[in-house]
Amino acid sequence: MLKTLDELKTNGYDYLKDVTAVDYVTYLEVVYILYNIKLSREEIVKVQLDPKNPKIHTIMDKFPAADWYEREMSEMFGIGIVGRRAKRLLLEEWNGISPPLRKSFAWGKDYAKE
Amino acid sequence: MPVMRINVGPIHPSTHGVLRLLVDVDGDTIENMTCHIGFLHRGVEKLMENRMYMQSPSYTEKLDYVAPLGWDDLYVHTVELALQKEVKETAKYARVIIMEFQRIASHLFFIGALCNDVGQMFTMFMWAFRERDAVLKFLEDVSGSRMFYVNMRVGGLMRPLPDDFYDRAYKLTEYIAYKVKGYKDVIDDNSIFMERTKGIGTISKKEAIDFGLSGPNLRASGVEYDVRKKYPYYAYDKLKFKVPTSNIGDGYARYKMRYEEIFESIKIIRQALDKMPKDNDVVGFPIKLIGPEAKPDIVINHHELPRGEGIIYMVPDKQKPYRIRLRSPVFISLSALEHICKGAKFADLFSIAGTLDVVMAEVDR
Repeated sequence: MLKTLDELKTNGYDYLKDVTAVDYVTYLEVVYILYNIKLSREEIVKVQLDPKNPKIHTIMDKFPAADWYEREMSEMFGIGIVGRRAKRLLLEEWNGISPPLRKSFAWGKDYAKE
Repeated sequence: MPVMRINVGPIHPSTHGVLRLLVDVDGDTIENMTCHIGFLHRGVEKLMENRMYMQSPSYTEKLDYVAPLGWDDLYVHTVELALQKEVKETAKYARVIIMEFQRIASHLFFIGALCNDVGQMFTMFMWAFRERDAVLKFLEDVSGSRMFYVNMRVGGLMRPLPDDFYDRAYKLTEYIAYKVKGYKDVIDDNSIFMERTKGIGTISKKEAIDFGLSGPNLRASGVEYDVRKKYPYYAYDKLKFKVPTSNIGDGYARYKMRYEEIFESIKIIRQALDKMPKDNDVVGFPIKLIGPEAKPDIVINHHELPRGEGIIYMVPDKQKPYRIRLRSPVFISLSALEHICKGAKFADLFSIAGTLDVVMAEVDR
């Protein structure tokens, strides 16, 4: 994954538009949207992860814009980001409950009562 | 002198929502700054995953409450792509016109609030809000509501356009062009405004790309990137307009981009009014909560919102989105603020935050 992104960056895809994830239950998919301003072309890189212990390497040293995207993704999907120091949570304190955007997050359950 | 940590907030530093900043200052120079966001976090993406397609526009409206139609329009267009429904020809032009008026209203809000932030008190604020209110009144007559229009429906708009739509829209563009030209004298000759924005918070072209800025903030740093040109949606490919850019990248350049965009929007509105078919056939499909089966695997849609490029990445399911990702341009502008502020003066913090045009409800989602 890092190799592909490196290659894209050297080919002018240096504008990172988005980093996000989708939970397909059997696997997690991380999506990177990159853009080449000179060629006006967009490329999408997808990485599949194991949902039991999802981990992915940071791309912050190549794309500084990934900072908050990665933090939000790791918070919302419980994906560990390897290679960057841990920072406080960005949006909300979850206190160990299931990551909210995973499909395993029970909809309508009153977590505050527990 | 030892470094001192100052807590700012949680307040609204530039009248756009709740934000807390922790600033480490050496004297009055900022050494380091951290943003604490999440005070308005509602989990809109999760909420939308559990609603039928046409129940969600009331959420998208509240993302960016200064320009609610932007996200509304983007979301409904994405649903149209997912359900493979065509937008009616007249409705395409009507949406362009309404969206450009919304852009004008949003930029007027920006100009008024920015002048307030930098200390040029109240004159510009009142003037900009007077013009903005004229636009809101017009949009109210089109949609029936003053701020949260919920005017978009799959295939078109909620209700037919008023009979005097053409004349009123044209007169309104004349009124705004006349009034906004007058702003120049008040702002460009004002030493307070100029000294507090010129050379403050300068972002180079490379930094702007690295931070992932978009919209007027990116164009102020010399990157000519506008979604309306690169991915023309609706009728934008049939309309002629320029994309204002600047190579300076400071606060004044970011203000200037928005000022010039108001006139480009007026150009777009006038052309769209002339080209729009006069049949007033704009009403979309009635809300059916159980829609037809969505077909594509993934829909990615880009729109040029007043604050930058909004992207929706949607994995459609039968009646509701399986996963919907709202990429907010403001979220990433605010993350850049941490880098831009380093080395700036503490008093300029609000000027820089103001010129980035941040709306917190959209940052937190």
